[in-house]
Amino acid sequence: MKILSLICRTRDLRKQLEQSRTKLYRVAFSWCHNSALADDLVQETLSKALKNVGQLRDPELLNSWLFRILNNCWHDHFRQHREMDDIDEIEDFRYANTDTPEDAHAQNQIVDRVRAAISQLPFGQRQVLTLVDLEEFSYAEVASILGVPAGTVMSRLCRARRSLKELLQELSPTRQTQQITPLRRVK
Amino acid sequence: MKQDQSISDEFLNAFVDDQLEPAEKSRAFDLVEHDEALKERVCELRGLKEKVQHAYLHPPQPAHTQKKGWLSGTPYPQALAACLLLVIGNMSGWFAHHWVGYGSDQEIMRSLQTVQRNDIGANSHKLMIHVGTSNQVRLKNALDEAENLLANAMHANQTIQVEIIANSKGLELLRADVSPFAQRISLMQEKYPALSLMACGQTIRNLHAKGVNVHLLPNTGVAPSALGEITLRLKQGWGYIKV
Repeated sequence: MKILSLICRTRDLRKQLEQSRTKLYRVAFSWCHNSALADDLVQETLSKALKNVGQLRDPELLNSWLFRILNNCWHDHFRQHREMDDIDEIEDFRYANTDTPEDAHAQNQIVDRVRAAISQLPFGQRQVLTLVDLEEFSYAEVASILGVPAGTVMSRLCRARRSLKELLQELSPTRQTQQITPLRRVK
Repeated sequence: MKQDQSISDEFLNAFVDDQLEPAEKSRAFDLVEHDEALKERVCELRGLKEKVQHAYLHPPQPAHTQKKGWLSGTPYPQALAACLLLVIGNMSGWFAHHWVGYGSDQEIMRSLQTVQRNDIGANSHKLMIHVGTSNQVRLKNALDEAENLLANAMHANQTIQVEIIANSKGLELLRADVSPFAQRISLMQEKYPALSLMACGQTIRNLHAKGVNVHLLPNTGVAPSALGEITLRLKQGWGYIKV
């Protein structure tokens, strides 16, 4: 009976792992804004999770355990790419580029504007913001996933939302239009 | 307005994220209800939260993603194919490694990427090769580098001094009991007297502390520390290659 329940448990866990892919991908994408890299990170996370599934004592904690692995995979990835020295200081490529009409059009879209603003947040703040807002993790769970104190989670979140508000105002098309100086003919 | 100033952003964030204890939550509701400015701040935070959720509702899927997950469906045909490929790969690797060596493009590229030269203005007839890894491809690469340099110099009737300095896991190259290239190094030493070997004393002490007895290859010198030796040699005008 024990063996049977163990097999059932493993099968359930594998099913849950598969279902977690979408959630993991969404958060990974919000961290790096690169679909190929996000996909690789999720693949690595799931493969590590599957390998170490025996270490998970409480299946209730599967979700936060998976995101902890994702965070580790992210750190491993940047450790291997030494050109980026300090993970917290990583600033991704910026969307805020209005050089072309296509980009200007994209700026008008709220989705692109929010993603652009989030990609400009310091990485620590971005992680906390996306884990709380996208996955609805509690502050304590985020603290455990990222291995930081709960107070740090609160302050990072607070700073992230404050910066996000400012960045969204900066990226707002109406504000950009206001900044344009009209041409005048000077005789 | 006074209340609005006294309520911290952290408190409001926790309220919006439903992280407050029931008593605190009731207090927050009470405060928000009677303060327009506070209500506005809460609305703003909720709006931000919803915008973030909306922005990642449908993230772009990677180009190669298939509808079916890698864990789903019946994995047996794929697993069988993977095993078959693995067996074929292993067998071809096993039979081909003697004549291919690390000469495959990928290996060469990887090796080249790991080689860093820092000998601008240095004496090109004195070169040290620093080995800090136990990766066999890199160890072989280090020996190949040394042998090429020595062979070219011999061919051109030039004098050259090459010193291989090993530390950390790279010390395995010079340990008689574990070196995968002990015989090759011995032959190289016979053929090229200008080749010298230097082990890091610090690494040896660390290994001793862990209870490992280190037996070095014959004619291997011991420097107090590899970094000290490298710094000294650089001051003396030696070139430096890290493999």
